[in-house]
Amino acid sequence: MADAQKKTFVVTRFDPDRDQVPKTQSYQVPCQPDWKILDALNFIKDHIDPTLSHRWSCRMAVCGSCGMMVDGEPKLTCKVPLSDYGDTLEIEPLANFPIIRDLVVDIDGFMEKLVSVKPWIVRAKERAVEEGTFRQTPAELEEFKSFSMCINCMLCYSACPVVANEPAFLGPAAIALGHRYNLDSRDEGDALRQQVFRGEGTVFACSYANECSEVCPKNVDPAAAVNQAKFRAVIDWATGFVVPRGRK
Amino acid sequence: MAPSKPGRTRTAAPVRPHQFPFGGRYAAYTLFDATGLLYLLVGFVALRVVWALGSGQAAWQEMLRQLGHPLYVAFHALCLVAVVFVAVRFFRLFPKAQPPRIGPLKPPPRPLIQAMLYAAWLAVTAGLALVLGGGLF
Repeated sequence: MADAQKKTFVVTRFDPDRDQVPKTQSYQVPCQPDWKILDALNFIKDHIDPTLSHRWSCRMAVCGSCGMMVDGEPKLTCKVPLSDYGDTLEIEPLANFPIIRDLVVDIDGFMEKLVSVKPWIVRAKERAVEEGTFRQTPAELEEFKSFSMCINCMLCYSACPVVANEPAFLGPAAIALGHRYNLDSRDEGDALRQQVFRGEGTVFACSYANECSEVCPKNVDPAAAVNQAKFRAVIDWATGFVVPRGRK
Repeated sequence: MAPSKPGRTRTAAPVRPHQFPFGGRYAAYTLFDATGLLYLLVGFVALRVVWALGSGQAAWQEMLRQLGHPLYVAFHALCLVAVVFVAVRFFRLFPKAQPPRIGPLKPPPRPLIQAMLYAAWLAVTAGLALVLGGGLF
């Protein structure tokens, strides 16, 4: 191993069978110059402390599993190089989520919100196979393409100050994905999603911190989606006075 | 972000981002939200001014004299800074809040929308300055 540099990792540890509250534990890791943070965490687990628990999968920033707080900022640990940091790093589980163990958080709350916005094509009547495929122009695809890049890594939820203070808020990723389907020319579920967008977890709880877009590793720009969703929600509310419910 | 039903494993409570509310980028967001306090105070001042307007010439003159107090001037200068700050943040948001299409029409490019907003802001400010300065009426 050439040019290994020792770095100190201060990692949050929590064992639900033993600990009342999370604590920190420090590890000295000989790091290679080209390592990402995830490489160091895997080194800790493989060679120093096999009890360390953390989520990871693809190692290439497409699965969204390895989100953690690195020096107070939510990051995908497989994407961020160690060379961006000094000799000491603080690694914590994602903020705003209950902690199951060490760096593993409970994402069930997020999954409930995601399912509530129905992130799939909703059709009033399913298209028969004989009718052929849907046709969509490049311009129609461009309308929602950036919002479809979301990998559900939940970094945006960790950065959002509204999520921290209003647990019922749908949150950036769920709204972005619901909005993505509202913009899809194949979808007919706008009215269903508007009930959710204007319900308890209302899109109007967003107060434009823009932190979600700042931390998004896939440039989804969820802040744009949330604010476009607000615009549509107002239009939907206003047109509801003149247009019968049950339209698209 | 706790789930509606607790899981089988005991969890530790969520931790808020350490930098919130005054660290890093959150400082600008907290200041942005704090401008709401200034709007509340401006509302009270406006009510007081309207009350003086309806109480006769002497009360109105007294109100104008009080508004010239250095504290009132400093307060209104702070309000001007706050309004400019909020306007700049809003102008950053407004282009990306536009729908991708309204019927067959697409919105202009985002820099052009921002330029139009600033131009409109300057035009309205100049117009108001002209009117309040007595240049037109």
